[in-house]
Amino acid sequence: MSRTRSAAEEKTVNKDESCAPPPLLEVTDLSVEFRTPAGQVRAVDGLSYRVEAGRTLAIVGESGSGKSVSSLAVLGLLPDTATVTAGTARLDGVDLLALSRKEHRARCGDQVAMVFQDALAALNPVHTVGYQLTEALRARRGMSRADARKRAVELLDLVKVPNAKARVKEYPHEFSGGMRQRVMIASALSLDPAVLIADEPTTALDVTVQAQVLRLLAEIQAERQMGLVLITHDLGVVAGVADDVTVMYAGRAVEQAPVVPAYTAPAHPYTRALLRSIPSASGTGRLSVIPGRPPSLAARPSGCPFHPRCDAARDVCRTEVPPAAVPAKGRMSACHFASDIMAGQEPAPDGADEHSTGRTTAAGNAAATAFDRGDDRGDSGGDHG
Amino acid sequence: MAEPVLEVRDLVKHYPVRNGLLRRSVSAVKAVDGVSLTLDRGRTLGLVGESGSGKSTLARVLVGVETPTSGQVLVDGEDVSRLSRAGRKQLRRDVQMVFQDPYTSLNPRMSVNEIVGEPFAIHGIDPAGGRRAAVSELLELVGLDPDHANRYPHQFSGGQRQRVGIARALALRPKILVCDEPVSALDVSVQGQVINLLEDLQAELGLSYLFVAHDLGVVRHIAHDVAVMYLGRIVEQGAEAEVYDAAQHPYTQALLSAVPVPDPSVRLVTSSRPVEPTPVAGPVETRVPTSSTGSVGAIGSVGPTGSVGAIVLEGDPPSPVDPPSGCPFHTRCWLAPTLPEARTDAAPAQPPAGRPDLGLRLVPTMCETDVPALVPRSADTSPGAASDVSHVVACHFARELVDPRVEV
Ligand SMILES: Nc1ncnc2c1ncn2[C@@H]1O[C@H](COP(=O)(O)OP(=O)(O)OP(=O)(O)O)[C@@H](O)[C@H]1O
Ligand SMILES: Nc1ncnc2c1ncn2[C@@H]1O[C@H](COP(=O)(O)OP(=O)(O)O)[C@@H](O)[C@H]1O
Ligand code: SF4
Ligand code: SF4
Ligand SMILES: [Mg+2]
Ligand SMILES: [Mg+2]
Repeated sequence: MSRTRSAAEEKTVNKDESCAPPPLLEVTDLSVEFRTPAGQVRAVDGLSYRVEAGRTLAIVGESGSGKSVSSLAVLGLLPDTATVTAGTARLDGVDLLALSRKEHRARCGDQVAMVFQDALAALNPVHTVGYQLTEALRARRGMSRADARKRAVELLDLVKVPNAKARVKEYPHEFSGGMRQRVMIASALSLDPAVLIADEPTTALDVTVQAQVLRLLAEIQAERQMGLVLITHDLGVVAGVADDVTVMYAGRAVEQAPVVPAYTAPAHPYTRALLRSIPSASGTGRLSVIPGRPPSLAARPSGCPFHPRCDAARDVCRTEVPPAAVPAKGRMSACHFASDIMAGQEPAPDGADEHSTGRTTAAGNAAATAFDRGDDRGDSGGDHG
Repeated sequence: MAEPVLEVRDLVKHYPVRNGLLRRSVSAVKAVDGVSLTLDRGRTLGLVGESGSGKSTLARVLVGVETPTSGQVLVDGEDVSRLSRAGRKQLRRDVQMVFQDPYTSLNPRMSVNEIVGEPFAIHGIDPAGGRRAAVSELLELVGLDPDHANRYPHQFSGGQRQRVGIARALALRPKILVCDEPVSALDVSVQGQVINLLEDLQAELGLSYLFVAHDLGVVRHIAHDVAVMYLGRIVEQGAEAEVYDAAQHPYTQALLSAVPVPDPSVRLVTSSRPVEPTPVAGPVETRVPTSSTGSVGAIGSVGPTGSVGAIVLEGDPPSPVDPPSGCPFHTRCWLAPTLPEARTDAAPAQPPAGRPDLGLRLVPTMCETDVPALVPRSADTSPGAASDVSHVVACHFARELVDPRVEV
């Protein structure tokens, strides 16, 4: 069956990748649950990803798909109502999730930093920007006040805040949104982390300022060979800056791929639908939308969690959870028909062919070969919208 | 025939800045500095511009949360400032607002049912079928599960919270919806649903929208007309296709150029990564080289083939307390220093206050001294070419931009 085949293929792929430089951060099979009045709900369900030096991994997904929760779990910042029920997050060979809360936070502070979604809320209004920038330095590195101030100016300079010397004495409300986000980035960089997780760092910013901030992040990343996890819902931003993409749906990774093939030949119907729903310059008619809404965590659909909204769903989707298929080298798609979708074909209709799964695999192999040749199957994706 | 439902004439909103012990008003934040607009019934006017350009202030004045310093707002031909108290209350029903910030605009201690139903309570309205049913319907309308009506804002993700705000604004079936970044916090699939929903409601109920958004793709889709704001003024305005496909103002062009497009062959940032660690099978990545110095490459358009990020504006807009003389955009304008006029009659422009790092910029004297009027572009002087009076631009050199020169 294709499912066992896929699992085997996945192992091979993983083995191949172990020859590549070891990832800075490797999250494996992460699951996070919340205690709610309605009972235990799973916000993150078996998420795996790896972050390599100098590369940008974009995590995209709809609201509530678990992007922030998974990052908070990695950083040990989950609220008390949440529990990590499975998984590891290896940083330098150490599983962060196996550490005590205190050890976890201590280790993260130094090596994994986070830029939060809402810069104004994350900054303390009663302290100067300079004070906040160096709080961690003074606390963790025992830096003197004078040294801390000097370092704060350097950090503001680093993120290109003009007049850094004068501006360290100002308060967050005196900064514009873009400048505040720069302060957040500077603060996250203060301990020189190996990995930076940026949760919607430019969502609140104007396109002009977004371009500046993304460029700044890319420059700093390249200079320090930092691993960057960029959480966003903007597929334009992903296309513009990411090297790899993880698409999340209902707490799971549904597609993982390098950015170019993900856009030109998405292997999961959800990715395809997301790309089609972007308002395009030419489209003036109705926007293509994904019907319905993401499932509530308490009532996750059976089988494939995307099946109630999927335009390619077949009978099998309602009953069987799709495994992590590998439709081409370096790609993952949690869809029963990953290879068909990637090849731009619709899966065979229900009952049309007893051996449909076999054919799917064959199509998958053909697609994989096409990729090795560097075929540009640009039209199988969803740039039309 | 176009029938205006909302007219704004020379609207000014200044916030006094008080200084010193005497708390005397010494200067003002010129948040909105002379804006005139017309919104036709059943149409959508998109308003774009950087943060701080005055879009939200304008929006707040329009919904009556703020009183203008001067100028007029006419709803259905009636001057709002002349209305009685009862008239103003009616205006508040007719002009509703969807707020920018889903985190702070919802009262955390109220359930969704109370939040969405509150306008009924405030205005003493009992919708047919009861409030509860009306709220359920509204929640359904915006793509929320009506079974979640008893939940509180913190139990929703950011996107879900924004939808609660939209449901609330729609409760009283207003004539005009002023939407301040209504879909900015939403994911693309949901964004599409909300935009389609807004379009449906518009067709069904003849609603008119003033639609503020920083996503130019979204504005392009939903708006019939587009106005571009900079430092409290409109710098360009016209039909959507005119503004997007034939932008005349250098600021509009810079905005359009900064929009990331969902095409990975168009990179927003140059990658200086030494080697690709994992060989990627598939189409070769082409990285469009972009400069980080603010110099100008080719003019991009919002489209998959545009060279995104070709024009990068430096810094933030200047302070609206002390806007630059002449053209308010002259301290950041990428075009002005490239004009031949800048070389011949060059007078060194002062670096913006507090920004000595920006150094000297040579711009045409005219840009520094004369405020450009918002006028129809006079590009085509050939006889018979009816100049498009609905496409207006505030730039002395707008006509030069038909074929933008590229810095060499
Ligand atoms: N404190 C909490 N109690 C119960 N459920 C929660 C809590 N925090 C988050 N959740 C749920 O966990 C899921 C994932 O939330 P998360 O904030 O990670 O989503 P997200 O992808 O970051 O969304 P957004 O883009 O809107 O911020 C959502 O269904 C959310 O409702
Ligand atoms: N209550 C206020 N007091 C002083 N200044 C204000 C006030 N509200 C807005 N401003 C200023 O007015 C300008 C325009 O603000 P705003 O309309 O909120 O911009 P936008 O919505 O385009 O981001 C900004 O410089 C802002 O700081
Ligand atoms: S498994 Fe079925 S329902 Fe799920 S994404 Fe694939 S085709 Fe759609
Ligand atoms: S008037 Fe001058 S400074 Fe202003 S936009 Fe036009 S060219 Fe630029
Ligand atoms: Mg989030
Ligand atoms: Mg605003």
